[in-house]
Amino acid sequence: MTHTHTPHAGDDNAADTDVVTLLMRQHGDIRNLFDEVEASTGDDRKDAFRRLVRLLAVHETAEEEVVHPFARRAFPGAEEVVDERLAEEHKAKESLAALEDLDTEDPEFLPRLRVLRESVQTHARAEERYEFTHIRRSADTARLASMAKGVKAAEAMAPTRPHPGVESRAANMALGPVAALMDRTKDAVRKAMGKDG
Amino acid sequence: MPFNPLEHRGIPLDRQVRSWRELNVEPIDPDHCDPYTRCRVITMNGIEVEAIMFSHQLARHTKDPEVKRQLARTRYVEAQQQKAVNWLLPGVSSVLETTIAYEQVAVDLTAWVARMEPDPYLKQAYQFGVLEDFDHLYRYANLYEMIEHRKAEAIVDGLTEVMPGRPTRLHHRNPVDNVRDPYDRTRTDPLSKLHALTILSAEQQTMNFYMNTGPTYMEPIARQLYQEIGLIEEEHVTHYESLVDPGETWWEQLVNHEYNECYLYYSFMEQESDPKVKALWELHLNMELEHLHIACDLMRRHDNRDPAEVLAPELPNVLTFEPNKGYLRELLATQIDLTTLGAGYVREAHERFEEMQARIHGGEAAPSDRVMDQHQEVFGRQYRLETEGEHPVAALPENQ
Repeated sequence: MTHTHTPHAGDDNAADTDVVTLLMRQHGDIRNLFDEVEASTGDDRKDAFRRLVRLLAVHETAEEEVVHPFARRAFPGAEEVVDERLAEEHKAKESLAALEDLDTEDPEFLPRLRVLRESVQTHARAEERYEFTHIRRSADTARLASMAKGVKAAEAMAPTRPHPGVESRAANMALGPVAALMDRTKDAVRKAMGKDG
Repeated sequence: MPFNPLEHRGIPLDRQVRSWRELNVEPIDPDHCDPYTRCRVITMNGIEVEAIMFSHQLARHTKDPEVKRQLARTRYVEAQQQKAVNWLLPGVSSVLETTIAYEQVAVDLTAWVARMEPDPYLKQAYQFGVLEDFDHLYRYANLYEMIEHRKAEAIVDGLTEVMPGRPTRLHHRNPVDNVRDPYDRTRTDPLSKLHALTILSAEQQTMNFYMNTGPTYMEPIARQLYQEIGLIEEEHVTHYESLVDPGETWWEQLVNHEYNECYLYYSFMEQESDPKVKALWELHLNMELEHLHIACDLMRRHDNRDPAEVLAPELPNVLTFEPNKGYLRELLATQIDLTTLGAGYVREAHERFEEMQARIHGGEAAPSDRVMDQHQEVFGRQYRLETEGEHPVAALPENQ
């Protein structure tokens, strides 16, 4: 049986010059991690869950900092579309908070993970259908590329997979609670987007 | 226990129309459902779509307004059945995800039918076609990983292997070579009629799905791959529909349609693992028994024949979704290099085939090959799911 691993968005050889392509691949990465958490046990599950939480935090922060602000100004009715996405994100964060302090072996863990998974998945598809299509339509290639750069800066701030041999100081740092991670990601994105944004 | 649909009465037709609340079915969970539940949903949707379109065609060829009204009544219920079935698919799934499930249906449904088909000529038609669906699954799986970073195994769940079949670029034949010879309605096994109707309905639905959803993609390679495979589905519908004896009367065809729906709902009810979905198959079986009864009355009245003459005395063995890995590997090893010539099969690339190939490819790589190249660039490998070891064909045709 073949066992091939799908690298995370940004770690494959794709050009990553289009923020929408990059984020859609990240949506798949998140869904893969949900699969991994559900399929594993013990320390493997703890580890997979930690990576899932990190990726979610980085991904949502990057969207809030890079994509939603652009989308808000991009098309008629955008304010409402973005507000609906933020409401979904808020709901997902609540589901995440309900999980954060739970041991991964707790009998409540998997049912609550399922709730989180459903809200994350609904949110991701809604973004792809109601927000990303407008971004592709209204952003020129330079803009799509600069936004992609911002998203990649967020990833670099909090790597969600170990990079053998090239561990940075940031990657080795204890990451701390999700809220702190989001703050640090925000700073990194703002710094990277400074020139372009 | 043998089940003869002719001996059962279903729900009276005037009690079959459902309210919005009853039609508001709860979709299956794309991440945790039995993959074969999704396959059964996709199959029955194709069957209901065929039932509706067939009935429309029949109505357009019917003069008697009373018969038109009778057809409209049954057809409205069938349209509701189609909604109840297809709306089991979840909104959170992407088109590409559903596409991979469509190809899993094409592979495991056609392979099962090929295994069970008693007529050798018809069996060959299914064996030929399934190796093409098998390759489509592989191409779409590579596109899926590229666009969504997801593996097809998250959908097919190891029940169906994902690896090269007959290379998709070689599926483009001169249209005349897609027309098969029909079975003889007076001599063929009733099971063969059901098989042909089932597979042509599934392929027709796949054709419709790709021709309508393909342009919703923005990625050029995705748009092109749907165009290419969409055209092959046109070939497959031609291939399978030509197996049906055109001498069957409209009323006989109507009876066959309704009987086949009874057969499939019964089959799927027997094997369904999801209790809510099972209840729907049971409900629809009880509706179809009445549709069959009405169709039989129409046949008796218009053809002056007893439908029992053309139908099986009892339902055949249940049509089953199950892995067909060994069977498919055997076909790959022996039939990967076939093409068609007239109504038969040959191994050499004959002149008419070469002409069509030259014209459609125009000297460039087909989308189905370019998707592999692009995937290779992004990941440095192909995506395959080979659960039973190496691919059975050591030297695959070029560009795999």
